[in-house]
Amino acid sequence: MNENAGPGARRDADGYFLRAEAITKIYSDGTVALKEATLEIHPREIIGLLGENGAGKTTLTKILSGLLPPSHGRVVSPRGPVRFANPREALDFGIGMVHQHFALVGTFTATENVALSHERPFSRIRLAKTRERLEALMEESGLRVPLDVPVEKLAVGEQQRVEILKVLSRDVQLLILDEPTSVLTPLEVDELFALLHKLKEKGTSVILITHKLKEVKSITDRIVVLRHGEIVGDVRTAAATTERLAQLMVGKALEGEPTAVELSADQLPQTLAARRKKASSSEGILHVADLVARGNTGEIAVNGVTFDVHGGEIFGIAGVEGNGQSELVECLTGLRVPVSGVATIRGTNILGKDPRQIYRLGVAHVPEDRWRLGLVLPFTLAENAILGVHRWEEFQGPFGILRRGKVNQHVRKLMDRFDIQATGPNAPAKSLSGGNQQKLIVGRELAKDPAIIVASQPTRGLDIGAAKYIRDLLIEMRDNGRAILLVSADLDEVLALADQLAIMYEGRFMTLCRPDSLNREQIGMLMGGVACKEVA
Amino acid sequence: MTENPARESRLLRGVHRTVTGLHPALESVVAGIVGLLIGALLMYIWGFDPWKAYWALLRGAFGGSYEWASSLARGTPLVLTALTFSICVRAGMFNIGAEGQMMMGAMAAVCVALFAAPTGLHLVIGLVFAAVIGALWSVVPALLKVYRGVSEVISTIMFNWIGRWLALYLAIYVIVDPMRAEKTLTVPASARFPILVRGTDLSASVFLAVGVALVMYFLLWHTTMGYEVRAAGLNPTAARYGGIRNKRTMIVSFLLGGITSGLAGATIAMGLPPSYAIFGGGGFPELTNIGFDGMAVAMVGRNHPIGILLAAIFFGGLNAGGRVMQFYGSNPVPLEMIRVVMGAIVLAMAIPELIRLFPAVKKQGERLFAALRRRRETRSKEGEA
Repeated sequence: MNENAGPGARRDADGYFLRAEAITKIYSDGTVALKEATLEIHPREIIGLLGENGAGKTTLTKILSGLLPPSHGRVVSPRGPVRFANPREALDFGIGMVHQHFALVGTFTATENVALSHERPFSRIRLAKTRERLEALMEESGLRVPLDVPVEKLAVGEQQRVEILKVLSRDVQLLILDEPTSVLTPLEVDELFALLHKLKEKGTSVILITHKLKEVKSITDRIVVLRHGEIVGDVRTAAATTERLAQLMVGKALEGEPTAVELSADQLPQTLAARRKKASSSEGILHVADLVARGNTGEIAVNGVTFDVHGGEIFGIAGVEGNGQSELVECLTGLRVPVSGVATIRGTNILGKDPRQIYRLGVAHVPEDRWRLGLVLPFTLAENAILGVHRWEEFQGPFGILRRGKVNQHVRKLMDRFDIQATGPNAPAKSLSGGNQQKLIVGRELAKDPAIIVASQPTRGLDIGAAKYIRDLLIEMRDNGRAILLVSADLDEVLALADQLAIMYEGRFMTLCRPDSLNREQIGMLMGGVACKEVA
Repeated sequence: MTENPARESRLLRGVHRTVTGLHPALESVVAGIVGLLIGALLMYIWGFDPWKAYWALLRGAFGGSYEWASSLARGTPLVLTALTFSICVRAGMFNIGAEGQMMMGAMAAVCVALFAAPTGLHLVIGLVFAAVIGALWSVVPALLKVYRGVSEVISTIMFNWIGRWLALYLAIYVIVDPMRAEKTLTVPASARFPILVRGTDLSASVFLAVGVALVMYFLLWHTTMGYEVRAAGLNPTAARYGGIRNKRTMIVSFLLGGITSGLAGATIAMGLPPSYAIFGGGGFPELTNIGFDGMAVAMVGRNHPIGILLAAIFFGGLNAGGRVMQFYGSNPVPLEMIRVVMGAIVLAMAIPELIRLFPAVKKQGERLFAALRRRRETRSKEGEA
């Protein structure tokens, strides 16, 4: 807790609406998501909750809104400690949260959705009354939505307004918004912020979870920065500089204490050595120009990206998740058809081709979600080991017969080579530990003898040993002259591995440079969408 | 004495594991027993003697070579319609259309009566024709799903009705026996399955059913196409990532399913003495429900071709034995009771699935179990002290 001289200390003790006292959250798998977080929320203020992925922003707000119980610590109001068993109790108390993924029934109208949220078991639903109340509320707040259209027909911004109305209709004192602007157009963002100001004037407090530095500077009164589950900063917005916030968010070396970067450098001694003797092969493998792609909800997710990846180089893409990285990778691996642009592997177009054709061109893909994309969990190890290459001559005999013997040989080789711990080739993939599952995927992809490896979050959720093993493999492949496109939300990982660094923000590259030409503060600002002129 | 608590808890853990991770085959056996018990309870309530009835059922189903033969004969078409359902389940879809596809296949098989051909070849032509028609009847819902997003459950059910009434129309007006309006043309001797056991319905079609089941097993587990079908069924996104064209696997699985159902119809039309014809006038007594019963067989057989073969013998036995049961001297249990038993088995099959589906139920159960165990442990500790 570096800067806890927050405004709360200066106010009189009863002035707060809610106080989270030394809240610690340990998930059942042992992850410590929050460490002794203390936060005071006052009426009439907008708090920005800033932090990287996994910093604990969402966990903290989920505890405040009754979705999760804290492991230690308590939430107190001026009237004494409060304990919410579920979100409904929190709503009754006056705390409402609007999640990133809306909880609306698509075929219901706004009125029906709001009425539904008021429903108790066996209570009567009074649509006319709800409608009256909603109209009054819309008049009062200036928040306008069509009330009689099924919400699935509404734009995303309007759906969000329905969600906000739903919460406001319960007379909340504290409104929590989780990354509300990530799905909105700039105009909708302005409207949302105007609404938040209005709410604030009426006495409502707002907590805004975001990673966008500009937004947080423009709307909030106070900014709370979380990093690795700890509140590392609690500053008045007027007094905060973008540089300072970026530094707090990304972290900075303290004397006598190794930083995350130094730590991972320790874990990866070969990395830096390898970087120094960087392979000189500069054969261009992947060429991408002006790529534009839409996301799942139709918004522009990748907005004109241009880059080249050469053999013997790791091209790292850093950035907060949800800024178009997934969509970019999907375009390059045949899982998404882009709107426009060019992407070639050694001169051959890959856009619009299906994954099988792209693999044939020498692309290996370590997907970001190993359970949903990378593995067929009920399948055996052997069956998973040939996913994507099952039609290659090695495994497919005449008449499409699967050569089980060859497949078993192959998987045994993979198990030896990549140190996959399993009872045998016929063990179901779901019986493997996360690290071994990932080794299986990485091994399968590397065994394709690829020209380029697209690795998306390759070490997410793995223990240190497995993560190091996979990073070492990537470096080994790089030194063998393969091209590697590494996408990771783990900034330290990208900084430790990449020869070229791009930082992605809202579908664009904020910068494209060598990683050592930036300091962490600049990187933090770029990740938060603030371009620094001095860098360019 | 000191060893007791440890042994006890180990035993409890063993029981717990058995209950929660029940082996699939065991689940089917348990479901069969539960179904029979429910049937017994109902018989008792209605004043029958369940023991006598089941004894009659058992004797009627497997009491001798004649009984075995009729059980197998009744199981034969069920194997084929069960394969239809299970192939599509393996591909991640519910094909409820076996009934309609089977009826169309039966009509196609009867059409061999329209021309003459050498013995054997005539049979093969009929089988091919039935398989093709079954596949055509099946592929339309698949295409609707792939290209228009129509739920295959709805469209196959609708196609069942279209198939049934179209088949009835054909049986009454088109391929009708000119001498006897209530039935179709008779399949000529050159296109019939040879009878294996004189005086029973068991024909060589049983070899066809077993052969098709083995071929389907090979297709699904030992070819790349089967690999793709199963991958797409278990995880369509991962399949897409693996370069598998999900639309293709859908169509392939429906085609295969249609072929087996069409063949099921053919085994009835071309292998059912003495008529070797379909009775349109009676509303298809030989055909009705073969497709739906196949779904039950598929479920009990755990959607595995080998399991289906075993389950089909069981269901064939229930059907054949049920007829004996209803004529059993002092204790004539109506044939409908067998269908009650079948229904109860299918419901019982769903119980472990339900427990898996509702983690809350499982969690509560586990919590209860843990509490019980703790109490036992403290008690035994107290006992030691």
